[in-house]
Amino acid sequence: MRQPKIIVVGGGLAGLMATIRVAEAGIPVDLFSIVPVKRSHSVCAQGGINAAKNQKGEGDTVDKHFDDTIYGGDFLANQPLVKRMCEAAPGIIDLLDRMGVMFNRTPEGLLDYRRFGGTLYHRTAFAGATTGQQLLYALDEQVRRHEFEGKVKKFEGVTFLSAVIDEGGVCRGICAMDLRSSEVKTYAADAVIFATGGNGAIFGRSTNSVVCTGSAQAALFQQGVDYANGEFIQVHPTAIPGEDKLRLMSESARGEGGRVWVPRNPAEKRAPRSIPDAERFYFLEEWYPKYGNLVPRDIATRAIHRIVYQEKLGIDGQPAVYLDVTHIPRETLDRKLEGILEIYEKFLGVDPRVEPMRVFPAMHYTMGGIWVNGEDQASNVPGVYAAGECEYQYHGANRLGANSLVSCIFGGGIAGPAAVKYAKNLEKGAESTASAVFDSEKKRQEEKNQKLISQDGSENPIIIWRELGEVMTEHVTVTRINRNLQMADGKIRALQERYKKINLSDRTKWSNQTLNFARELENMIILARVVTLGALARNESRGAHYKPDFPERDDVNWLTTTRAKWVNNDIQLAYEPVDISLIKPRPRRYDAVK
Amino acid sequence: MSATATQPDSSYLLRKLHSFTGLLPVGAFLAEHFWSNSAALVSAEKYNATSEELQTIPFRLIVEWGGIFLPLLFHGGYGIYIWLRGKSNVSAYPWVGNWLYLAQRYTGIIAFAYIGWHLYTERWLTHGKSTYANVAEDMQNPWYLVFFIVGVLASSFHLGVGTWNFLCKWGLAATVKAQQAAGRFGAFVGVAFSVVGILIILSFRFDWHPFSAYLPTK
Amino acid sequence: MSETKQVMVKVKRQAGPKEAARWEEFSLKWRPSMNVIICLRDIAENPVTRDGKKTTPISYDSNCLEEICGSCAMLINGRARMACSALVDQLEQPIRIEPMSKFPLVRDLIVDRQFMFESLKRVKAWIPIDGTYHLGEGPRVSPEIQEKGYPLSNCITCGNCLEVCPQVNEHNQFVGAAIISQVRLFNMHPTGAMNKSERLSALMGPGGIQECANAQNCVHVCPKGIPLTESIAEVNRDAWKQALLGWLVG
Ligand SMILES: Cc1cc2nc3c(=O)[nH]c(=O)nc-3n(C[C@H](O)[C@H](O)[C@H](O)COP(=O)(O)OP(=O)(O)OC[C@H]3O[C@@H](n4cnc5c(N)ncnc54)[C@H](O)[C@@H]3O)c2cc1C
Ligand code: HEM
Ligand code: SF4
Ligand code: FES
Repeated sequence: MRQPKIIVVGGGLAGLMATIRVAEAGIPVDLFSIVPVKRSHSVCAQGGINAAKNQKGEGDTVDKHFDDTIYGGDFLANQPLVKRMCEAAPGIIDLLDRMGVMFNRTPEGLLDYRRFGGTLYHRTAFAGATTGQQLLYALDEQVRRHEFEGKVKKFEGVTFLSAVIDEGGVCRGICAMDLRSSEVKTYAADAVIFATGGNGAIFGRSTNSVVCTGSAQAALFQQGVDYANGEFIQVHPTAIPGEDKLRLMSESARGEGGRVWVPRNPAEKRAPRSIPDAERFYFLEEWYPKYGNLVPRDIATRAIHRIVYQEKLGIDGQPAVYLDVTHIPRETLDRKLEGILEIYEKFLGVDPRVEPMRVFPAMHYTMGGIWVNGEDQASNVPGVYAAGECEYQYHGANRLGANSLVSCIFGGGIAGPAAVKYAKNLEKGAESTASAVFDSEKKRQEEKNQKLISQDGSENPIIIWRELGEVMTEHVTVTRINRNLQMADGKIRALQERYKKINLSDRTKWSNQTLNFARELENMIILARVVTLGALARNESRGAHYKPDFPERDDVNWLTTTRAKWVNNDIQLAYEPVDISLIKPRPRRYDAVK
Repeated sequence: MSATATQPDSSYLLRKLHSFTGLLPVGAFLAEHFWSNSAALVSAEKYNATSEELQTIPFRLIVEWGGIFLPLLFHGGYGIYIWLRGKSNVSAYPWVGNWLYLAQRYTGIIAFAYIGWHLYTERWLTHGKSTYANVAEDMQNPWYLVFFIVGVLASSFHLGVGTWNFLCKWGLAATVKAQQAAGRFGAFVGVAFSVVGILIILSFRFDWHPFSAYLPTK
Repeated sequence: MSETKQVMVKVKRQAGPKEAARWEEFSLKWRPSMNVIICLRDIAENPVTRDGKKTTPISYDSNCLEEICGSCAMLINGRARMACSALVDQLEQPIRIEPMSKFPLVRDLIVDRQFMFESLKRVKAWIPIDGTYHLGEGPRVSPEIQEKGYPLSNCITCGNCLEVCPQVNEHNQFVGAAIISQVRLFNMHPTGAMNKSERLSALMGPGGIQECANAQNCVHVCPKGIPLTESIAEVNRDAWKQALLGWLVG
């Protein structure tokens, strides 16, 4: 019998889970990642992972988790698969527990759960303040074990450039570049699972890691893999402003009782601690009495924007509000939040246990992504699968806190076996694909490199990237206005023109990071346009997508998934209905009983 | 996957042996040696009697070689091998532990040289029959005196740090707190040995017997 | 410093493992809460040395920028630390930036830390689960064990502890503190403990725990504050007990 071969691109939670599942099926896997997989962006997740285990006797159920997720996502997610995810979540926690994740425990030795945004239940399992790191390590260790046993081969420091697609439109492998030698090579496989994460970098600064450029998704998009709901990106309400990165202050700070406020008096000069309670404006608690500081992210973000830009109540007139944990006992803070408070202290040199933190919203999560079929993570191109943040399925118009880790592991867990099944059923595997198919893809990519290395121009890729980030952050994040979106698209297209004239300040071949960055930048620009055009077209407000000119959700016209396609070298938007077979849409309001 | 444990590598066993011999018998002998030599603090006669006692133990050669010389040679020789395989970096990382690491190597080699010389003069040249007078005479030579002092201090320091090392490295002092306590204990050992050693040297040098009052009045 | 609003940076450059090393100096515009990564980015944006010579951007590793991925370890003013959390205002100038010295150099500030990942394989740093299919909950773990194990599981494999260890060098393949600490972590877990002896055996192999000479530098530079000396001591105790038992009982 033919031995199938699978490639996984991306070694975050989703990619590693997919890898483990494929290896378990006895199929050899090649695992590609830009960074050593243990350094993937998933390590940044702080808060926790959701599962309705009802371990606090509150009557939490899978159905409630499902409902919270759909409702939180403003009814844009296809419901059946979300339901499956919520059903699987408790089992995923069990699995992680068996893998040795050092989850926080109750005195009885059971997992402890905390409350997170968008729910009324203690549903979030956590490992200190570094849950993502802990989960990623658990999967990384299992993959290392499979590697040790010879089932997995890692290609770390090798970046995916493009898929190898044959004349029949079937994916037969990938073309990738070694980041040290700059050597471009093709790798044959019967199916490829993409788990390349989010695309924060198209917004310049975000809470994401450096390699979260979305470049892989954009490359696939230009090869005919559809991209869905691009316009839905999540801005996290509380990030620590920084020049290189906007570092997240996790929702768990609020989950453990942190309160958001500003001085009632915009001219306030006193130190925050000496402002009496009566002169503090706890605006989230006042505006949303039921959820208080734990309203979903989009609501909190817009509330903070309103405080700063409309009410003009930002601290010292700056875009910042206080996130205050100083009233929580130090012992509790050190036990439950130490990791995240350390981040603040480390990067700002101020102790948040004593001094309220200054925070402001930042681009955080990519709800949209590679279009997959709602069944088994397969894209529209046969042989291409996607899982994790790089696909679009689970979070609709807005992701609930602590729901991403579970969706990554769940999606990766489905993608693995699905790819195996597909590969086994193939009549002809990648081994019978003509070598010309691989050669021509390799040639195409090598030529791109050669052109970049040799061309003389006047533009600096980093500056283009920075300008891209500025346009995107200003016009395509929290508040979207059609006129501005049109202008933004114009600017992005201008950047695309300027890109043609870029000049690499490094023309060597060995470990040339500028070359790789320039390649990614080209893709980022495409993806930025997908996001912007999607936002421009969607004339309603839903979840994280907010248009003051169309402030209401419009289920009549827009209860649809945006599906961007690459047609004649340009972006074309198509729409398809959302599967709402399980929960009937109802208005999403957090200021009243739902 | 089998869960069978394989035998430790020889480098493991040798290293553990090195560590162990540092304390037992080498360290223990140092303690015994200081103890019996402190007889000089009482009187020359007491010292000679104690020496004679030791010089006339049965199976003396076997005890000396098996219990002292060979372990010391091993500890010293392997100690040099360990030294060569390390690469000190106190200039970049000037922390106490790092200094002690470096000092452990230098005091070791000083102790080695000193002990070798000491054995040669007091054991070899005297055919194992050294007396109070022999030692006291040597001490009148200022060079000998300095070498004695340096050797005793180096050995004491080395044993003190070594004791701390030993307690940490065998996991007898595991927590940070326990290791701090072990550090204090090691310091105590080092200081105690230094003080006693110096007192003994002074005793020989100046014919000084502070505990002579213990002697029965005749 | 802040009056002149300039930041002086000296970077050790090396185009490849076999090329010669050289130093380049840069003068950058100071900004508040600037860190070393921001300096390197500034240079990439305008790769011109202090005396006006054009050069190439500096190659370096980074990813999370919040000291959790372990990518950006390097020597800053001679000390091993993470570039993303090295605040310029807390550093003496000119800031000297060099690659770590104990790992094979790739280019500029990039080194190859594969040795650590291989070592993790060698000591079987994982919990050997039967499979990912549904097998119910994991074993109960007391909060006490969790509170001990969690800090250990924070290791970001940055390699700082190896870099500063006098026992890690070209003559000595010592696995280093991080790996020993991982063994402690897995041996502590109820399921992991089932393979305890295997891990200890691996640590008693060449380059194993015996190479530790207790200089205790590791614990000073660990960005995660992992109690490495404690881990080494505990694993040491378990190891000799196992060796002695094996020898006595066969
Ligand atoms: C600061 C922060 C905190 C968060 N906290 C939480 C939380 O508490 N709970 C929660 O549920 N979610 C949280 N999230 C979201 C969650 O962390 C991510 O959505 C999730 O980790 C994404 O995992 P992934 O496997 O999809 O991708 P990633 O972990 O991003 O991994 C992507 C992988 O793809 C590789 N890759 C990318 N491009 C290429 C290429 N071209 N070639 C080869 N390899 C490539 C990368 O090297 C990497 O290995 C948080 C996110 C952030 C930013
Ligand atoms: C007076 C005689 C000596 C005594 C009492 C002595 C005692 C000790 C002790 C107790 C230790 C600690 C063991 C451990 O590290 O676990 C030690 C370590 C050491 N000794 Fe000695 N020693 C003596 C002579 C020497 C000599 C002659 C050398 C050779 C240079 C030497 C070199 C070392 C070294 C290098 C170590 C450190 C080992 C390590 O870092 O692992 N010692 N010694
Ligand atoms: S133990 Fe600390 S210093 Fe060593 S690799 Fe891990 S995080 Fe880095
Ligand atoms: S970039 Fe991740 S640790 Fe510095």
